[in-house]
Amino acid sequence: MKKHAGIIILCICFMLLVPGLFAGGQQEAADGELEIATVVKITGIPWFNRLEEGVKQASSELGVKAYQIGPSDADPAQQVKMVEDLVSKGVDAICITPNDAKALEPAFQKAADKGIAIITHESPDQKGKDYDVELIDNVKFGRHFWDMLAKYMGDSGDYAIFVGSLTVPLHNLWADEGLKYAAEKYPNMNLVTERIPCGEDQELSKQKTLELLKTYPDLKGIIGFGSLGPPGAAQALKEKGLDGKVSVVGTVLPDHAAPYLKEGSMQHGILWDPKDAGFAMTWIAKQVAEGKAITNGMEIPGLGKVMLDGDVIKVDAVIDITKDNVDSFGF
Amino acid sequence: MKKLLKHHETYLVIIIVILSAVITSRNANFFTAENMFDLLKSNSFYGIMAIGVLFVLISGGIDISFPATATVAEYIMAVVIINMGGNIVVAVLIAVVVGSILGFVNGLLVYNFRIPSIITTIATMNIYYGLLTFITGGKWIYSLPDWFRSFAQIRLLTFYNADGAAYGLSIVTFIWLLVVLAAVFILRFTLLGRGIYAAGGDRKAAVRAGINVFFTETFVYTFMGFLAGLAGVVQALLVQTVAPNSIVGKELDVIAMVVLGGASLAGGKGSVTGTLLGVALLAILQNGLTLMAVPPVWYEFFVGVVILVSIGFSSLQAKKKSGNTSVIELSLEEAAE
Repeated sequence: MKKHAGIIILCICFMLLVPGLFAGGQQEAADGELEIATVVKITGIPWFNRLEEGVKQASSELGVKAYQIGPSDADPAQQVKMVEDLVSKGVDAICITPNDAKALEPAFQKAADKGIAIITHESPDQKGKDYDVELIDNVKFGRHFWDMLAKYMGDSGDYAIFVGSLTVPLHNLWADEGLKYAAEKYPNMNLVTERIPCGEDQELSKQKTLELLKTYPDLKGIIGFGSLGPPGAAQALKEKGLDGKVSVVGTVLPDHAAPYLKEGSMQHGILWDPKDAGFAMTWIAKQVAEGKAITNGMEIPGLGKVMLDGDVIKVDAVIDITKDNVDSFGF
Repeated sequence: MKKLLKHHETYLVIIIVILSAVITSRNANFFTAENMFDLLKSNSFYGIMAIGVLFVLISGGIDISFPATATVAEYIMAVVIINMGGNIVVAVLIAVVVGSILGFVNGLLVYNFRIPSIITTIATMNIYYGLLTFITGGKWIYSLPDWFRSFAQIRLLTFYNADGAAYGLSIVTFIWLLVVLAAVFILRFTLLGRGIYAAGGDRKAAVRAGINVFFTETFVYTFMGFLAGLAGVVQALLVQTVAPNSIVGKELDVIAMVVLGGASLAGGKGSVTGTLLGVALLAILQNGLTLMAVPPVWYEFFVGVVILVSIGFSSLQAKKKSGNTSVIELSLEEAAE
């Protein structure tokens, strides 16, 4: 009996808790303000926590009811279910960073049938969307790393590339584009070895940097894709007294890179701000839901002019992180 | 000589020597004191966890949850020292106490419910790691105190290379060394050590022989947790960043090092020397591949080949022995020793 009592109490607790968890999303939108939901790939990681700040900012500044949800792991099926739930709930627009473009198509069709706008991010080839928002042009973004590295190490000399892994699509796309560009523009910059998969592990990046220094004593630069690569490289350089002699350029979170940029063991960070993505998606969703047209050259407040390419909206929102501005980002 | 060839460790040493010779012939920077000290420093983290895994394997179990334990201990340690201050002793104490508690829970579950340890620890790994992600929201910690930063730079022996940069025996390596000495002492010279081997070799026989299996079993998991906590501090000292996802996923690397060192997944077998050689072999291999300018796409392939070759050698030898020797010859051989 005692055992059963425990189970019953647990069940009651569960039943009491669960509706509470979702209550936030169920309050009726006050006096007809638009309801715009953002579905991210995964909740609880720094990147999407930052994106949520943009959604919240849009919510208060644009006078819409905007909020963010997402699965606890990067699971396409859970995302599909979340979109379906939002469709039956009858929101006005759904913003989403898809885990799987294909899996979402049927759910997007249901949304379209009910007149719900779909805005995607990081999925330019998505079918069934109204618009996709991209904050960087991947080709230009990749090239920018080489321009910046050339600025610090000069346009000739040995350098190496770190990527998160050999299968991360974006890192390798940037590296491919950058290398093509460098072959023409910086023929004297010499890549010493193929890209090294260590950029998602700071300790490994540090170790690989130490090994590179012993193998290629003339190394002058490192490009790091993956946010833990550049700090690892910077630590190794500092340890060997080579900070400033070997230049480090890469994708980093500003707060993390701050000490390395300030002590001079890392030179330059390049990224976009996920908060901007959250704001931009919600802003565009509001326009579409209100039936306003999106036109080439119109301006998103705080982000600048948009470039319309079919149904893909591009905003050039790349941020350059240096020792002078690193403290101004707040993430 | 013949006696030496019976030991798995001998083959590991041979392979390490061959590998080192090959690497040195391609890049003379490999066989330098500077590179060796760098390797010893950056592998301390793996080395400490490997000792814990060795104990669990000898006792006949396996632990998958130690990276989660290390992460939780590291995270709690970081939050406490940032918010309440302290010193390195406090930091280490917090981490090892948290680690030991989590390890003790594993031990209790494995002993009391007799669930296979792999299932138990997969479950606890998810619970520990899941709770941490839930509570912290996956937030990274960068701003560790200055005294924590400067402790990581302490060297017990200091040398200077041609460019004037300092290197030497890091405090982090020294922590690893202490762990190794403690492990040798426990396994070789205490009743507890004998009990761990006995429980792993034949549990029933161990119980009949009067060994307290409850104690040995909870001890090995608690010790694993203790070392995971310590490894967590070492990791934080090395990279000065605490990220909830930076250690999880390394469990198989560490288990591979220990098994490579001759510990048996079936229990009852394994030595500290072997484990150190296993860690050394994989560390040297990883280091050497970059130093020899092998393209990174080949890294995993070569790691696999070297593991197979090293295990293959000694397994073949063991098979030959058991195939050729009759019972009588075996006893004669033993008598001759």
